[in-house]
Amino acid sequence: MYGDSDQTAGGVGGGVDTAATHEREDVPDFRAARRHVLIELLRFAAQLRNDGVTVPTSATLHAAQALSVVGLDDRAHVADALRATLLSEPAERDAFESAFPTFWHRLRSGLSAVATDHDGPTAGSDADEREDAPTNTDSPTTDDPGVLEDAEPPDIDDSGDGDVEVRIPTERRHVTGDRPAATGESDARRYSAVGGRQRVDIDTAQLTESELAAIDRFVDALSTVPGRRRRQSTAGDRVEARRALRASLSTGGTPIDLPESQPTPSELRCCLLVDVSGSVLDTVDRSVLLAFADRLYDSARETDVFLFDTELVNVTEQFARGGGDPAAALREAEVQWGGGTQIGEAFTTLRARHPYAVDRRTVVVVVSDGLDVGDPDTLADGITWLAQRAGALVWLNPLAVSPAFEPQSRGMSTSVPYLDALFGFAEPADLAEAARQIEQRGLHGQVGYEYDRRLVGADSGGGSA
Amino acid sequence: MTREAFASLSESDLRERFETAEYVADDRTVTTVHLALTLGRPLLVEGPPGSGKTELGKVLASAFDTEIIRLQCYEGLTAENALYEWNYTKQLLAVQANEGTVAGRSGAGRDHEQSVFDEEYLLERPLLRALTADGDTPPVLLVDEIDRADEEFEAFLLELLSDFQVSIPEFGTVSAEQPPIVVLTSNRTRGLSDALKRRCLYLHVEPPSFEAEYEIVRRKVPELDGAVAAEVCAVVDRLREEAFLKQPGVAETLDWARAVAQLRHDDADTPLSTDEIERTLGCLIKEVEDLDRIDAELLEQLQTAAARAEDRLEA
Repeated sequence: MYGDSDQTAGGVGGGVDTAATHEREDVPDFRAARRHVLIELLRFAAQLRNDGVTVPTSATLHAAQALSVVGLDDRAHVADALRATLLSEPAERDAFESAFPTFWHRLRSGLSAVATDHDGPTAGSDADEREDAPTNTDSPTTDDPGVLEDAEPPDIDDSGDGDVEVRIPTERRHVTGDRPAATGESDARRYSAVGGRQRVDIDTAQLTESELAAIDRFVDALSTVPGRRRRQSTAGDRVEARRALRASLSTGGTPIDLPESQPTPSELRCCLLVDVSGSVLDTVDRSVLLAFADRLYDSARETDVFLFDTELVNVTEQFARGGGDPAAALREAEVQWGGGTQIGEAFTTLRARHPYAVDRRTVVVVVSDGLDVGDPDTLADGITWLAQRAGALVWLNPLAVSPAFEPQSRGMSTSVPYLDALFGFAEPADLAEAARQIEQRGLHGQVGYEYDRRLVGADSGGGSA
Repeated sequence: MTREAFASLSESDLRERFETAEYVADDRTVTTVHLALTLGRPLLVEGPPGSGKTELGKVLASAFDTEIIRLQCYEGLTAENALYEWNYTKQLLAVQANEGTVAGRSGAGRDHEQSVFDEEYLLERPLLRALTADGDTPPVLLVDEIDRADEEFEAFLLELLSDFQVSIPEFGTVSAEQPPIVVLTSNRTRGLSDALKRRCLYLHVEPPSFEAEYEIVRRKVPELDGAVAAEVCAVVDRLREEAFLKQPGVAETLDWARAVAQLRHDDADTPLSTDEIERTLGCLIKEVEDLDRIDAELLEQLQTAAARAEDRLEA
């Protein structure tokens, strides 16, 4: 275990060797110690990166500077200095705390090895071996008692190659590995109108940064409510002094044209209707679904969240209280899900009980597969009311991520004429595509699953069924 | 104290200065602030509301007896509000009176005509003021709640944070002779960009331990009896275990301690009663949903926690 780490130390420190060798005769111990510290620091940073911490290159440099200020004697000081320079998120602290003891042990044992080495190393490569020599020769079988069990060098990863590998945490989890197939009609037969309901029994998923960014981008794209940000406009409500002065130059300092600015829509008021019938829960990862709803709730200015299968439940309060873990709050509130799909009834209940959840500035986002088993007329009434009342109506269908998807099911074909957009949604990355389309062509332009470039590519490449 | 003097500032010296300013800081905070000062880098402080982030900036200013320049961020904050603005009215009058031209510094006619893009017409906003401030000790620039500002503004701060200089197109580059001590605070309502975080030292402030909080209350609310102060801290400590929408921060504890001290002037050292806790809850709990969760049972538990406070201090 310890022997393997020699290679890494030699590999990383190789660049330092050549420079240090020339002056070694003057101040041998100091040079070796300095090099040892730098190598261990680099190795520690690589270990952190391996564990998913974003450590910029410059951070290592700053960490070295910080170490030169606090010194290497006090463990707490060293830990604080490295924390301040290498980390930038509270979530990264766990990785730091677990990797730090190893780093500290290596640093100290290496330094004392250098300090007791009275002869002074004669060449760079020799010094390298000498630092670790005691552990290699003295106790090859019993292992050095001081070396911690988890003192695994960062290069021993699954791939098994000798380089210090930097793994960037992306796409940790797909919904179910491959995307759900668009066999909507046949699926529908398996699910009954009422179905067996159950408690919320899962945890909220932890989304990656890129997934969170995708949801945020989607929220931004849907924004309808003016915020404080302003932009140039031909008929705004305020004069823009900077441009007015510029314009006055051509008229000898007399401002005649008054350029104006107006607020841009930058905030979203949203009514999120999530279908939690059995068919949807089986298609998408339910913990991701909850995490999506939670992030949407967080990043939009106002969001009302409703879950519906055969009944409609207002769970806005659970999301507010959940603080990042709505699953626990839903469990606590004994919310049930997994019944049959009666979309029309859900809309009717919404209209009767929560009419103010939807107004002309609200964007209604429905997450549903549209496999409705209720009365089609009720659905038609409900969706008409929603479309008329809401600022915009967006439908996210988990089945529409497939290239072969057509809105043929009874519920979907009733609803489609009233929708502003119908997008596929199985994982947060799909929302980035939706946001891209809306940013380019506007919500009332040509947007929807049928314009998804990724699907068009897959369709022509693979040949659809 | 000049910027060079900061480079040789010792940690114990800093600790003493915090002590004098009545700021209770744990070792991690002291080390990190010390590093920020000696390395001359901005300090990014994150943590829940009411954990003393802004206070840290203020204390730094008072500890080094220097000016504090505070920039409160909000959505829609623009460079004009934060950095500089031209005095348009004055410029307009100057142009009309033929006292100045609109050519920039490098423009034609600069020899005999005064440009209106000159320092005379420049209104300094906090950031520029922090760069141009004179005096021996550099000022403390407190950029408060940076997460509330737009991402565009964050990007705009980058030049300032890394080089301590700003470029004004019509005017040129203004760089600081004495780089200010920069403290940024964030409540984590949104993630900050990597570019910004890369330029800063990072400090995450956590709610203080029971003992540290007791120390803070003792210093900041000296009028409150010691035993009662311990009880106050114990109750807040217990309240933080509940899943509240808004956890009470140190600021709330201090408010509450002052309220308790205010209400009891005669019977200064009697223990806290449930009734007393219930009546003054408004200092600690700021959400109606959280208030609803406080029932007789929880109040009992709070009082039990208060009763055990003395033992915890001695332990």
